[in-house]
Amino acid sequence: MLVTQSVAELCALLIDELHGELPSRIFATLLNRGRSSLIQLVQYTSMTPRQIRHGLAVLLQHNLLFYQVDPETQTAAYEANADYAYNLLRTGKILEMVDTSYGGPAKDVMQSLLLLGQTRISDLTAAYQEKIDQATKATNTHKMEIDDENEANGVNGHSHSPKKPDLPVKSIAQLNSILSRLVEAELIDAVHARTFQSPDDIFRDVEKEVIKTHFPNGVKGGKAKIELEESIAEGLRKVRSDSKSLKRKLEQNAGAAKRRKLFSNGGLNGSLNGSATNGVHDEDTDPGLDPMFVIRINYEKCLVDLRNRRLVQFVQETFGDTSAYVYGILLRLLTKRLSRCRLDPRMDTADNDDEKESSGPGFVTTTEILDNLKTSVDLSLGLGKPAKEAISVRAAEKIQENPSKKKIKIEEAEVDGHASADEDDDSGADSDGESDYDSDHKEPSSGMNGTKVKFADGAGLKESRLDRPAMLRQHLLLLAESSQRFIRHCGQNEWTVDFIPLLQALREAELDSVIERTSGRQGLRLARILRVKGKLDEKALPNVALMRKAEMQQKMLEMQTAGFVHVQEVPRDNKADVKKSFFLWFCDVDKSLNKLLETSYKTMVHCIQVLEVLRQKEKDILLLTKRSDVRGREKDVMRKEYYDRYSRFLENEKKLFAQVMRIDDLVALIRDF
Amino acid sequence: MPRGGGGRGGRGGRGGFGGGRGGGRSVAQNNVPWTMDQEIVLDGKPSELFPPYNVPTAPSLSKKEEKQVSYFLLFREQCHDGPLYTQARTWTRTSDTNRRTYGQEQINKKYGTTSKATTDPFLSVPTYSQKFQQTERTLPDLASRPFAKEFYPPELHATLDGEDEVGLATKRRKTTTKKTLALSNITSLRTAEELFMPGAQQEPGTEGTGPRFDKVLEVLDKAEKRAEDGEDAGFLSGEDDDDWVKDNEDEDGEGANAEEEDQYDDESGDDYNAEQYFEGGDEDDYDDGGDDGGDYM
Repeated sequence: MLVTQSVAELCALLIDELHGELPSRIFATLLNRGRSSLIQLVQYTSMTPRQIRHGLAVLLQHNLLFYQVDPETQTAAYEANADYAYNLLRTGKILEMVDTSYGGPAKDVMQSLLLLGQTRISDLTAAYQEKIDQATKATNTHKMEIDDENEANGVNGHSHSPKKPDLPVKSIAQLNSILSRLVEAELIDAVHARTFQSPDDIFRDVEKEVIKTHFPNGVKGGKAKIELEESIAEGLRKVRSDSKSLKRKLEQNAGAAKRRKLFSNGGLNGSLNGSATNGVHDEDTDPGLDPMFVIRINYEKCLVDLRNRRLVQFVQETFGDTSAYVYGILLRLLTKRLSRCRLDPRMDTADNDDEKESSGPGFVTTTEILDNLKTSVDLSLGLGKPAKEAISVRAAEKIQENPSKKKIKIEEAEVDGHASADEDDDSGADSDGESDYDSDHKEPSSGMNGTKVKFADGAGLKESRLDRPAMLRQHLLLLAESSQRFIRHCGQNEWTVDFIPLLQALREAELDSVIERTSGRQGLRLARILRVKGKLDEKALPNVALMRKAEMQQKMLEMQTAGFVHVQEVPRDNKADVKKSFFLWFCDVDKSLNKLLETSYKTMVHCIQVLEVLRQKEKDILLLTKRSDVRGREKDVMRKEYYDRYSRFLENEKKLFAQVMRIDDLVALIRDF
Repeated sequence: MPRGGGGRGGRGGRGGFGGGRGGGRSVAQNNVPWTMDQEIVLDGKPSELFPPYNVPTAPSLSKKEEKQVSYFLLFREQCHDGPLYTQARTWTRTSDTNRRTYGQEQINKKYGTTSKATTDPFLSVPTYSQKFQQTERTLPDLASRPFAKEFYPPELHATLDGEDEVGLATKRRKTTTKKTLALSNITSLRTAEELFMPGAQQEPGTEGTGPRFDKVLEVLDKAEKRAEDGEDAGFLSGEDDDDWVKDNEDEDGEGANAEEEDQYDDESGDDYNAEQYFEGGDEDDYDDGGDDGGDYM
């Protein structure tokens, strides 16, 4: 992540919000000054070493710092980990995601982990044990109390009902099972010796090591250079895989295969009904995790899951619930082995087929998806019933073995720009030898053409004749044929997703909607024209756009200040006379996205600052609600107007954070997915 | 492009239309729009001071967003409840007029504005209700929980043990018992409705009107444990929200009173001790709690 000023500000504010002023101050200084030692930090911030040490400890506990210990002096140099600081913002999303896909108890464990920072498993177990003990003790004594009361037949002024301990995690075995599930899903990974080294440090170390062992005489020639790069990448991957040591250990254990199956089923069920019923049945089969391991949240994998959710949401908006559900299952199966959204260019450059994750996500077969579908889902919903003649079966069933090189054009699917003819030329006209697919196992009448889906009303009779696999295929084909290319039919009954072009398309769609919101449909239209035509002279643009010159110029200037279009000046001769030179408008998507990103950061900073101002405004009330004699009996103590003010403040706070999270959706799409 | 008219000081030439084309002053004078184009009607009205502006409003929260936000807020609440949070704010937004800062010095100056030296003497008279206010922690309470020390640089190890005191004169007995992590007791986020309409919906885990036995037990448990270890009982004061304890445990004698004493100690106890009175200049703002920091367990 590129740390700009607004990012730095945002990170400092977030840490301030969650962990207090002291860590935030140190973090901001580290971001501004770069890597510093303790002494330097003392100088910069003019705080006492004791304060700095405490602040650093808190930051390290929450994984917000990198450090490197100098072997000679035994002092450390600290560096800020801006990515993790930014990810604090996503806490709510991650928790919600875990809650829906893995159930309430898992969410509780995740939350504890986020709260405690990196934790030794034995410590975590002890903490939960204590909590469970307390709960049981409380109920026991409570019972006794009630008995006493009854016996004494005394004052029954106590109106409270017996409170049952409502712990999300009821036993240590359950905790263990949850932990191993999360570890297997890679949402939790192990902390190892190099976790706290910054990526650059690791790179340098590995490079040094490789040169020392493999190239003692120096690197000469192009071939050696490539070899060097490869072995460095190898070393880096090795370091990276250290964090998966816990998972590997888990898999080596005997019951792993069996449990994994249970786990995947349980996970899917959990995602459907959101209940916490899973995770109970397989407790006994779980081998214990090594209590000495230290674990933490793996944000990289969390991002993969968040990306899946985002894509599913996108499909839901485009097609409907059933297709989105199918897509969700496909993505889940596909990304099981995928550890990160974006490959690291330093590590994953070489075409190393031995490792699964770098060679793409692989594929999923139709039967696999079918096995994971819940039987209660009616697949017939959301499928169209076009006439037989309207379908070109060959085109619909076409198999694309390789990702298409063609850049995906954004069609008017989600942005209601001007209407244009659908251009599915490639799906209709291509009849190369690859489509030698036997189409007889599938009834042609049930086929559909993604672009012209008609939702017939009285088609219920026909549907019942279709079996589930066929209907599933319909959904998958629908997704494959869409203009956004949600999935690719990469082999017979095999499906995959090309994430990079798909997400690029999504990004452009998002940019389009932003342009539309800020400069209207005219602006969007101009931007699209530029995207299609490339660079256009200022004088030619009004003709192409069919707009009046003055209007167009105003619009273009407006968009230029917003950063959506750019202008290039090309002088006609040496004198560079302004009147004679050309002005070429163009539209650079990446540049615009970066600008948008920066604006988003700033907006988030503003949101949190507004919150702080609101807090100052309602300071007296906030102080009052925090008072220990007010807590629990606010109604008696506080007056109505206070209540109104307080609830208004809470409402505003909620809205502001929601806004921040919405913007984060955009940031995640542009930067992380 | 050089514009000739501006240099000669002609009335219409400065930044005007054709001043640079080599024409004389007369051309420049006639070259204003209303002399060239008769149809132009000048609109002399001043522009509206507050033109109507369509303020975009965000759509209301979806169910999912609502959940996400509430999870985040709950998480924040738990964070603030935990031992690693430092409540103390040493700067307030209202106190600084100049927001912009140039350089580290000015940034540093922003902090430390609310310290003992800057408190308003009229408001800082101890009042009864102050007793109920949250005690602020100026430094994170690291001693109360275990850490995986092998992942910390050696210079921080003492700090993690809670042995990073100002002067090690106040020798603390090393706790030999195993520390355990404390999970947060806040299990659900309380909205304003819940606060003001108690009894309507009582979530499990939130403070109700009745006494909380689990909480009391927990505190007593801890007290016993500490007593065995030979520690002061002052730790009761440091707990987060022991409202019940503070109210009802007076017969125990230690909990509430210890806290009060602590509070007044700062103000009155050391009044005549000149060395300590001026203890802590500007840099020591965070250190206010240093002398009694050990009591917050």
